[in-house]
Amino acid sequence: MAAASAREKQTAALKRMLNFNAPPLNTSLSEPVWKVLIYDRFGQDIISPLLSVKELRDMGITLHLLLHSDRDPIPDVPAVYFVMPTEENIDRICQDLRNQLYEAYYLNFISAISRSKLEDIASAALAATAVTQVNKVYDQYLNFITLEDDMFILCHQNKELISYHAINRTDIQDTDMEAIMDTIVDSLFCFFVTLGAVPIIRCPRGNAAEVVAVKLDKKLRENLRDARNSLFTADNTAGQFSFQRPLFVLVDRNLDMATPLHHTWTYQALVHDVLDFHLNRVALEEGPGPDPSPSGARPKRKNRKTYDLTAADRFWQKHKGSPFPEVAEAVQEELDTYRAQEDEVKRLKCIMGLEGEDDGAISMLSDNTAKLTSAMSSLPELLEKKRLIDLHTNVATAVLDHIKSRKLDVYFEYEEKLMSKSTLDKSLLDIISDPDAGTPEDKMRLFLIFFITALQPPTESDLEQYSKALTDAGCDLSPLNYVKQWKAFTKMATPANYGNSGVKPLGLFSRVMNSGSQFVMEGVKNLVLKQHNLPVTRILDNLMEMKSHPETDDYRYFDPKMLRGSESSIPRNKNPFQEAIVFVVGGGNYVEYQNLVDYSKSKQGKKVVYGCSELFNASQFIKQLSQLGQK
Amino acid sequence: MTMDITLLFKASVKTVKTRNKAIGIGFDSGKDEILKRGRPKSGFCPKAREVVANITKLKDFLLQHRKDYVSGGSLISSEVSRMTDSERDQIDQDAQIFMRTCSEAIRTLRHEAEKQVGSAQTKDHRGAVLDLIEAYLRGVCKLYSEQRAIRVKRVVDKKRLEQQEEEEGSLSVCSPEETERIDTYPTGNLWEEGREEDELSPEEMQMFEQENQRLVGEMNSLVDEVKQIEGKVVEISRLQEIFAEKVLHQETEIDNIHQMVVGATENVKEGNEDIREAIKNNAGFRVWILFFLVMCSFSLLFLDWYDS
Repeated sequence: MAAASAREKQTAALKRMLNFNAPPLNTSLSEPVWKVLIYDRFGQDIISPLLSVKELRDMGITLHLLLHSDRDPIPDVPAVYFVMPTEENIDRICQDLRNQLYEAYYLNFISAISRSKLEDIASAALAATAVTQVNKVYDQYLNFITLEDDMFILCHQNKELISYHAINRTDIQDTDMEAIMDTIVDSLFCFFVTLGAVPIIRCPRGNAAEVVAVKLDKKLRENLRDARNSLFTADNTAGQFSFQRPLFVLVDRNLDMATPLHHTWTYQALVHDVLDFHLNRVALEEGPGPDPSPSGARPKRKNRKTYDLTAADRFWQKHKGSPFPEVAEAVQEELDTYRAQEDEVKRLKCIMGLEGEDDGAISMLSDNTAKLTSAMSSLPELLEKKRLIDLHTNVATAVLDHIKSRKLDVYFEYEEKLMSKSTLDKSLLDIISDPDAGTPEDKMRLFLIFFITALQPPTESDLEQYSKALTDAGCDLSPLNYVKQWKAFTKMATPANYGNSGVKPLGLFSRVMNSGSQFVMEGVKNLVLKQHNLPVTRILDNLMEMKSHPETDDYRYFDPKMLRGSESSIPRNKNPFQEAIVFVVGGGNYVEYQNLVDYSKSKQGKKVVYGCSELFNASQFIKQLSQLGQK
Repeated sequence: MTMDITLLFKASVKTVKTRNKAIGIGFDSGKDEILKRGRPKSGFCPKAREVVANITKLKDFLLQHRKDYVSGGSLISSEVSRMTDSERDQIDQDAQIFMRTCSEAIRTLRHEAEKQVGSAQTKDHRGAVLDLIEAYLRGVCKLYSEQRAIRVKRVVDKKRLEQQEEEEGSLSVCSPEETERIDTYPTGNLWEEGREEDELSPEEMQMFEQENQRLVGEMNSLVDEVKQIEGKVVEISRLQEIFAEKVLHQETEIDNIHQMVVGATENVKEGNEDIREAIKNNAGFRVWILFFLVMCSFSLLFLDWYDS
C-alpha cells in the first residue's frame, strides 16, 4: 500500500471538513445534507485545483460564496467557513454572526488562529447570542496549494509578498524579512502536518533557505515537545506504512538562475511559458477569423475560453511531460480512435434500420441489443473524449502558433547548447540581431543565460556590442544589471554545471512520418530531448543517495526529532532516502518539476515532491529581475 | 491533520463572559431571544426535510424486505421467511405509489420556490436543494428497479426449470408405467382378462408413445420460443426506457422550436397581407393619376373648343 500523495491527503482533509469534520461515510446512498460553503480568496485557490463544482454539489454544497461578497440570509442551513484568520476575515465573520445569516456555523481556519482573535469571535457570538450556533471551530492546517500529485506551491493570491523580488531586494528591512520567512515557514509546517511526517531537513549555508530551515526546525521541535497538542501523534502516522522519514531539501533560487529563463520543449512547461496558465486553468483567446467583415462593421471581440487541465484528464496526465511533437502525434492518434468509435456507433444505427424486415433477424437481435446497450452507455464516454480532444487541439494549436511566430525551437536548441557548453554553430550576436526571431524578451532571456553560464565573463567590448544589439532589438537592460551583481556574489561558488545534454534533430524519416499529422510542423524542427540533470536534481541526487560531493558536503543537517539540536552537518542516518521533498525558496517553475519527475521515474521506488514559494514563468521572472536591476 | 479547537473556543466564550460581567456590560438577552423567535420560519426547509425523511423511509423499507424479496427460494422450501408472490406484488405497488407521491411533492416544492420572491442566492440554494433530493430519489428508485429486475429474471428462470423438470418427470413417469404394465401383463390374469379391451397392444402403445413424445417435443419448442420472445420483449422494454428518457429530454427543445416556427408563420402571413395592401395602394394611386391626367386633357380640349 503506497503512501497517499500530498494531493490525495489534502483532498481527503477537505472532504472531511465539508462533511462537518466527520469522516465521510462510504455508503452509496445516504440522505443529502445541504450546506453552504463560504471561503475567502486563499480558500478558493486551495479548493479550486482539487474539487470541481460537481464534486462540491455531490457533497451537498448548494451555494459557494466569497466571504467578502454580499450574502443574503439563508436561515435553517448550516454554513461551513474556510478562511484565513486575518483581521478583516474575523471582522466579517463577527458581522455575519450579528446578522444571523445562517443556522449553524462551522468555522475552519486555514492556518492556526491566535487566542486573541478567537476571543474576538467569542465576544461577537455572545453579543449576538449565537454561541450555540457556532458548532465547531477547527484549525485545518491546509495553507498550501497542491497542483499535482507531487507538486505544491505556497500561495497564489498575495504572491508579491513572498516573491523572489521581495526576498532579494536591497532595501529590505529585517522586519519585512521576518514576516516573509514566517509566512513561508507557516505554510511548510501546514504541509508537513497534512503529510503526517516529520522530515529530516538539509539546506545550504548562508542564504534565505538556511533561515527558513532554522525556523522550520524550531517550529517542528516545539510542536513535537508539546505532548498535549502535538499534531504528529502516533494515530496520524499509523496509516502510513513507510517507516522511513522523508528528506526535505531546501534550496534557494539564487543557486540556479538560468533554469527559469530557459525556453522549454515539454507540453506542460510550454503551456505555462507561452499561454496564461494558473492553478491548472489555461485561458485562451480565440481571435476573430483571418478576414474581418468587409463592410467596416465593428470588429468582433475576442472570446476568452478557459479550460481546466485536471487530474481526471488522462491525455494530459500521460503527455504533460512529453516533448511537443509527441503531443501532436498523440492528439492525432486519439482523434483517429475517436472517429473509429463514432463510425462503429453509426454502423449500428444502420443495422437497426434494416433488422425489422428480416425474419432471421430475431437471432441477430440479441447480439445487436447487447451492442446497442453498450454503445448507448459508452456514448457519454465518447462525448467526454471528444471534449478532451477538442480542448487539447485548441491548446496545442495555440502553443504551436506561438512557437512558430517566435521561433522558440531555435532558442531552445541554442540554450541547450549553451547550458551544456558544447560548441555553438551560430554566434549569439546573429540571433540577437535577427529581427523576426522572437520577442525582445526572448532575446533578453537568451543573453542572460549566456551571461550566467559563461565560465569567464565576456570582455567589455563584447558586452558593449551585445548591449547595443539588445537595445536595438528593443530590450530593457535592467535585468542585466541585477544579474551582474548576482554573478559577483556567487563568484566564489563553482559555477553551476548543467550537466551533459545533447540535442539532436530527428532524422529525415521521422520528419516525413510526422508530416502526415494534422499539425503542420514544417519549419519547426523536431528536437529530441536527452536526459540531463539540472542543478537542483543533482543536489537532490547527492543528498538522497548520500553521495559525497563538494557542493553538498557542507549542507546543514536538522532533525527535529532529536532531543538536542546540533550544529553539526554530519548526517546520523547513513541509508539512502526513499522519499524526498524539494523546496525552492524564491520561486520555481515547471521545467525543474519536469526534470525531477524524470529523475524519480528513472530511479525505482523513489518519490519526489516539488514545492516552491511561488510559480512564475520566464516573463514574470524577467519583470522581477528588471525591478531589482532598476534599484 | 486538523485540530479541534471548539473546546478552546468555548473556554474563550466563558472568559469573555466573565470579563464582560466584571466590566459591567450586561446584555439584554431576554429581548434578543424574543426577537429571534419572531423570525419568520420559512416553510421551504421543513417541507424539504419531510420529503427527504419520506424517501429514507422508503429506502429502509425496501432494504429491509430486500433479502426476502430477492431470495428465489429453493424448491425445497425450508425457509419460513419466504415471501409469496402476492406479497411481492403488494410491495411493488406500494413502492411505486410512494415514489410517485415523492416526485409530485418535489415538483410542487419547485413550483412554490419559483413563485416565491426571494434573493437570487436563496433561489439558487433552493434549486440546488431540490436537485439533491431528486438525485437521492433516483438512487432509491434504482434500488427498486434492480430488485424488480432480479425478481422477473428469477421467475422466468424458475418457469423454465419447472418446465424442464415436468418434461423429465413425465418421461420418467411413462417408463415405470410401461414396466408396470409389462410386469402385470403376464401376472394377474384374472382381472387382466376383464381389462383386455382397455389394454393397448404393444405396437399401438409404442405408436402412442412416439406420438406423445413428438407432441411433448413440439410443445417444448413452442414454449421455448415463447420464453425467448418474452426475454427479448423484456430487453426491448429496457431499451425503450432508455430511448424514452432521451426523447423526453428533447421534448422541451422541440417545444421551443415549435413555438418559434408558429411565430415565424404568423409573421410571414402578416408580411404577405402588408405586401398585398401595398400593391393595392400602388394600383389605386396609379388609377387616380391616370384619371387626373385624362380630366386635365379633356378640360384643355373643352377650353380650346369653347374659346375658338
